[in-house]
Amino acid sequence: MMELINRVFGSRLGSKDDAKARLKLLLVHDQVDLSPAQLDSMKAEIIEVIGRYVEIDRDSVDFKLERSNGEIALVSNVPVRRVVARAV
Amino acid sequence: MSECIVITSGKGGVGKTTTSANLSVSLAMMGHKVAVVDADIGLRNLDVILGLENRIVYDLVHVIEGECRLKQALIRDKRLENLFLLPAAQTRDKSAVNPEQMRKLVEQLKAEFDYVIIDCPAGIEQGFKNSIAGADKAIIVTTPEVSAIRDADRIIGLVEAAELPEPRLIINRFRQKMVDRGDMLNKDDILEILAIPLIGVVPDHEDIIVSANRGAPVAFDDTSVVGEAYRRIARRVSGEADVPFVALQPVGIWENVKRWMGLSAKAGV
Repeated sequence: MMELINRVFGSRLGSKDDAKARLKLLLVHDQVDLSPAQLDSMKAEIIEVIGRYVEIDRDSVDFKLERSNGEIALVSNVPVRRVVARAV
Repeated sequence: MSECIVITSGKGGVGKTTTSANLSVSLAMMGHKVAVVDADIGLRNLDVILGLENRIVYDLVHVIEGECRLKQALIRDKRLENLFLLPAAQTRDKSAVNPEQMRKLVEQLKAEFDYVIIDCPAGIEQGFKNSIAGADKAIIVTTPEVSAIRDADRIIGLVEAAELPEPRLIINRFRQKMVDRGDMLNKDDILEILAIPLIGVVPDHEDIIVSANRGAPVAFDDTSVVGEAYRRIARRVSGEADVPFVALQPVGIWENVKRWMGLSAKAGV
């Protein structure tokens, strides 16, 4: 009955989506063995380097480790505002 | 050609021993000569699940330390004459055995049997290393829970690092009702995360508790859906292609009536 009520009012998302999202993050961190702090400092350094070449929107940089089919990828989306004058 | 398969999971309590017992029974029912080894030294349980606890005289550690011959320690199943149990020692611990000794033991067993099934203890230490030492293949058992899947992932990494070829997955304690309402990870979610081939899905079912109470693995019960799930896993293990998965829907009233009347549930799965 509760199930029906929940369904009718659409008040509740299944908990399996939480499980899946948590697992995905957990396994990446288990596998690469990087602490969140290390990940943050890697992110800061990479953004620093990119920033030397192009002007980026630092607030909307998306930076995460993802895993699919057992392989880990570093996926990052860095919005570029404009290309700055070449320093090199 | 004989084959040694280790049943492992990392996490405890996900059903390694039940899986080992039922896979062994199912393979033996198909006519294969099977030895099942309890590698959980100090915490033996496979003897109880198989209902053979009263027949133990010698155990795995006795064999390894040369106190008896292998044949003396092997217990013949009371129902299947081609199924044998090698029990673990109960009063020793994992350090009583090393991987090299296990490798030799498995080799000896493989000379006599078609299948050697190893019931691995929980954890990733000595007992796990001993269990995988002589194995040709690995089956990973998990349940649809975050903790069990996390540990399964870790174990898959270790099994692959040990150069066992492609481990295969059994999803145990599956509840279709919970999946239907979005409260349990489904088969595809789990496969996406663990990325190894699936060899079976076993529904969560009261029959497992009843069979453990009786010391008669559910695979012996040809009216049980869970038994059927294990028998199909055994068919896949022995190389049969395209064995369909059992229907995981909850059993309806009509199925229960048919079962009560003694009609096989086989038609429904």
